[in-house]
Amino acid sequence: MADSKPRIPAKPGYFTVPDDPATPPEVIVSRCQDCGEYFFPKRLVCGKCMSRKTEETTVAARGTIYSYTFVHIPLFGSTKIEYQEGYGVGQIDLPEGPRIQLPLVGKQEAFAVGKRVVGELAAIREQDGNDVVLLRFKPVEG
Amino acid sequence: MEKVAVAGVGMKRFGFYPDTSVHDLACAAALAALDDAGLTFADIDAVYVGHIFMPVMTGVRAIKEIGLTGVPIQRIENASATGSACLREAYLAISGGHYDKVLVVGLDKMTEVMGQTPSAPALEDSILPAAFFAMWATRRMHERGTTREHLAKIAAKNWNNGALNPMSQRQPTTTVTVEGVLKAGMVSWPLTKMMACPIGDGAAAAVVTRESTAKKLANGRPVVRVLASHLGSEKYERGHLFMGPVVGPAQMSRDAAKDLWEQSGIGPEDVDLVQVHDAFVIEELEYYELLGFCKEGEAEACIERGDFEPGGRVPFSTDGGLIARGHPGGPTGLAQIWETVHQLRGTAGKRQVENARIGLCHMMGGGSVCIAHLLGRE
Repeated sequence: MADSKPRIPAKPGYFTVPDDPATPPEVIVSRCQDCGEYFFPKRLVCGKCMSRKTEETTVAARGTIYSYTFVHIPLFGSTKIEYQEGYGVGQIDLPEGPRIQLPLVGKQEAFAVGKRVVGELAAIREQDGNDVVLLRFKPVEG
Repeated sequence: MEKVAVAGVGMKRFGFYPDTSVHDLACAAALAALDDAGLTFADIDAVYVGHIFMPVMTGVRAIKEIGLTGVPIQRIENASATGSACLREAYLAISGGHYDKVLVVGLDKMTEVMGQTPSAPALEDSILPAAFFAMWATRRMHERGTTREHLAKIAAKNWNNGALNPMSQRQPTTTVTVEGVLKAGMVSWPLTKMMACPIGDGAAAAVVTRESTAKKLANGRPVVRVLASHLGSEKYERGHLFMGPVVGPAQMSRDAAKDLWEQSGIGPEDVDLVQVHDAFVIEELEYYELLGFCKEGEAEACIERGDFEPGGRVPFSTDGGLIARGHPGGPTGLAQIWETVHQLRGTAGKRQVENARIGLCHMMGGGSVCIAHLLGRE
């Protein structure tokens, strides 16, 4: 991004928005202190063992594509040209366990089941002088 | 436990009704169901009314348009499975001995609530709901070699079934082909517009009674019993999706079918026709397997053989399904009951399944609940 507007998340509590744009965003999750299961989004009670001892933590935004699609309709809530002709969406398996659904960067041909992806923040619109950002995933080679 | 039957059904064809209030839509369906049962509103012991989208008290106010008799009225909501949930509550109340004659009504006007979503999107709200179903299809294609032609064949079947149903929202005047479905505009790869259900308005209703009461009202028609009723929610397993409008874990539908067989003592080989939550074609494909109508991995071969087409082994979505008959929300589950009751009575006209005795109705609600019923002709 050429400008340097302050960045705010499309919705707080799902991913980090580092002050330094060069720092990669992280995914906000819950980890169960009893059984070790991770959850996204964060939650108070463990969905696996129902322990109440969950802790909020973050994990790196990277994983593999479980499934994907390309939507031929503009991204809701976005004013950016790049989303007007549609956008990719992926179900991403994080190595810690959670499966999350978020936009993918690129066209249909760039996606494949099992492909590695890394997260980045992208502005979808401006609001009160801020860039409203959404976490999305970009395919990486290898 | 009292045995339970569906004594009457009524429906307002799903579609677009800009000049008709949702109350009038509900009235039309409810009065049709009362007439079909041979009852009046004064006979009714309790009402369950369901809607997803309309404002608070819409359903209760709609019932007031039919009559004010002091009857207990309860609003029910369980996403797409709302109408099915109304039937289930009636089933539980009657089988538990609390009521004899219960009116269930589903209503919604999606066209009145479109565009009323919050302007500031939440995280997953920025994504078109169809994308979540499309990803189920992409994964299936990866695992099983499913083609877009398989998906298109299901869509064409349901559109063409809709042409035979006077209550279907979509009634194509010429035969819908696989090529036509594939050529329709892409919504979310691999799903085209013709592989998805439409939005719409409408209402559907049923009168549910003790079997003994239904026999008195039958007037020569076969009595249609509720043989089993299931409601389940999600179980956690690794890979569970907690975000957004999702399709829900496949296990919910497997569990639903297993419960129906256990309650009724019959199996999928005894079922003559099936209605499912085919909001998108990939769902119907998956439910062939998950409900036990073919083995895992065999859905594609069954589609190629026409097992679930009219005249096939077990016809699915005989009224056009959500794809053609429509899916306004609250009434959808009761439209499945309307169709199944007509099929079991032998009054389904051009789409009649020959000698139909047992029908299964299955709905998902927001990917988070699954409701299923088994109906049988005595």
